[in-house]
Amino acid sequence: MRLSRLLLSNSQYLKKTIPFYYSGKSGFFASTGWESRRNAPILRIRGLVGAQYPASPTVALRQVSVALVFAVLWGHWPKTAAAVELFDDFQVHGFLSQGYSLTSDNNVFGASSAAGSFDFTEAGLNASWMPISDLRLAVQALFRRAGAGHEHDVELDFGLLDYTILSTLGYRLGVRLGRFKNPLGLYNDTRDVVFTRPTILLPQSIYPDRTRALSLSADGGLVYGEYRGDWGHLSLEFGAGIPRGDNLDTELAILGVDYPGDTYSELSYIGRLGYELDGGKYRIAISSARVDTRYDPGPPSSQNLGPGKDIFTPVIFSAQYNSEKWSLTAEYAIRPIKESGFDDRLNLDLISESYYLQALYRFDANWQAVARYDVLYNNREDRHGKRYHATTGRPAYTQFAKDWTVGLRYTIDSSSLIAAEYHYVNGTAWLPPQDNPDPADLEQRWHLFCLLAGFRF
Amino acid sequence: MRGGFVTRALRRLLGVIALCFTGAIPAENFPVVIVNSAASPETFLSQSALSAIFGMRLRKWEDGSLIKVFVLPDEHPLHVAFSKYILRVFPYQLRNAWDRLVFSGTGEEPVKVVSEQQMRARVSATPGAIGYLSDSMIDETVKVVTFK
Repeated sequence: MRLSRLLLSNSQYLKKTIPFYYSGKSGFFASTGWESRRNAPILRIRGLVGAQYPASPTVALRQVSVALVFAVLWGHWPKTAAAVELFDDFQVHGFLSQGYSLTSDNNVFGASSAAGSFDFTEAGLNASWMPISDLRLAVQALFRRAGAGHEHDVELDFGLLDYTILSTLGYRLGVRLGRFKNPLGLYNDTRDVVFTRPTILLPQSIYPDRTRALSLSADGGLVYGEYRGDWGHLSLEFGAGIPRGDNLDTELAILGVDYPGDTYSELSYIGRLGYELDGGKYRIAISSARVDTRYDPGPPSSQNLGPGKDIFTPVIFSAQYNSEKWSLTAEYAIRPIKESGFDDRLNLDLISESYYLQALYRFDANWQAVARYDVLYNNREDRHGKRYHATTGRPAYTQFAKDWTVGLRYTIDSSSLIAAEYHYVNGTAWLPPQDNPDPADLEQRWHLFCLLAGFRF
Repeated sequence: MRGGFVTRALRRLLGVIALCFTGAIPAENFPVVIVNSAASPETFLSQSALSAIFGMRLRKWEDGSLIKVFVLPDEHPLHVAFSKYILRVFPYQLRNAWDRLVFSGTGEEPVKVVSEQQMRARVSATPGAIGYLSDSMIDETVKVVTFK
């Protein structure tokens, strides 16, 4: 009942406030040729960025209405909303969050550098059903607004059948078939749910939003095993599947520019080995993947770029210590990228490097603070982009990003929170290209301030 | 037959000692693990079994039937005490683990009840159920679990 009310009001508000506008995602592939796909999003971004923001009354109206709808929903929902239990062994959960971003320069989640942007909404709804004790079906749909190219994405996040082959006190072995979440690092599996991440913006060095689509989930199968012993809890997941590389974000991440033709994913592999001691007081993990993305140039055109292949093989090391007041987290990744086949300008073979150190402190059950230092180098042989600048003439600071973050979170009750955070960033390596179409507009040193309200059930 | 007198006395003593440091709850409100009274006579569970069950990683009893886990809200004093002194984890760790399961499609979270009265009613009415109550709330409708 409550659930349907939320969905109803949400979709009604969407119809009213967001003009029907597909970009980036499958809508373009389905409806139009490459020509319109290539031009439309860029024109649209220019239109927003170029003018004094807010450019038009509709844009301002949309921002205000988003805030209003959120406020209304907030007031209407009971503060102790519990999970919906329709019948035995069936669970429904969901989340909704609305963010505000303000930047000194450069854009994050919309045109944030002028008057700030409300273009960051995350919502999800999932269901899990266990018809028998060894079999479970689970599905989650996401709705997301996240700046240019993501005006209103609706996607199937996961949809899977989970079969437990063996389950004893000490062991568990099972398989998941369908669309499964990619097990990467500590936060990737639930990256869109603010309640499960320490900050509004995840550390972009390890969890970059610009390649979010590729890292979300894959279609295929995953085997998992667990062992629980006196000396800790060991878990292993290994999956094979097709990631979600058929979108503009992936193409921009790989080619830098939106060429005619499309990217798509081939069979890829992913795995994570985790170890927990003392009920999760100490957690360590190593995860890795081999992500195979291809480029299909499509019909011949003036920009004759041949078919190409991008092999991405990140290895992430994760460690976390949890005490009553403190959670200390560090992750380090090397990210080899090999591109071949396109032409000499685009082919590359380099290793990107990233890490962050994060301290989270809980004052009490409601208040927590977090501080983090997050670093990304696009090429560890050329950390500060000097060689890149010398060979391409483009700014060196597009090749790294060092992000100091402090944040504060107030948990109102178990189903709602508000959060604020501030980032001081040196470098622009992880900025989303669709929000920042013109490299000449980028500033090396910039500030980001975010606010977010989140709700879950 | 609610487990040995000595075990209960010991647990109470341990509770009192633990609470001397925290000063949170009187001993009669110390959490006790309970199961549905139709559960098999084997009501001894190890610490690691309890951790796996409330962590929602062990989903079936030895006879193959589904384990139905009931918990109080995260901020409920008995839930806090149960997490800290029985499971030996902090409530936020349980919450994080459940959220990871629920929002990644890899599992489910326990069923939430709002009060100890509801906890007792749901556990006594649901085959395969497990939960916890204050010592003073225990009656014959539920079965107390003792540790090995």
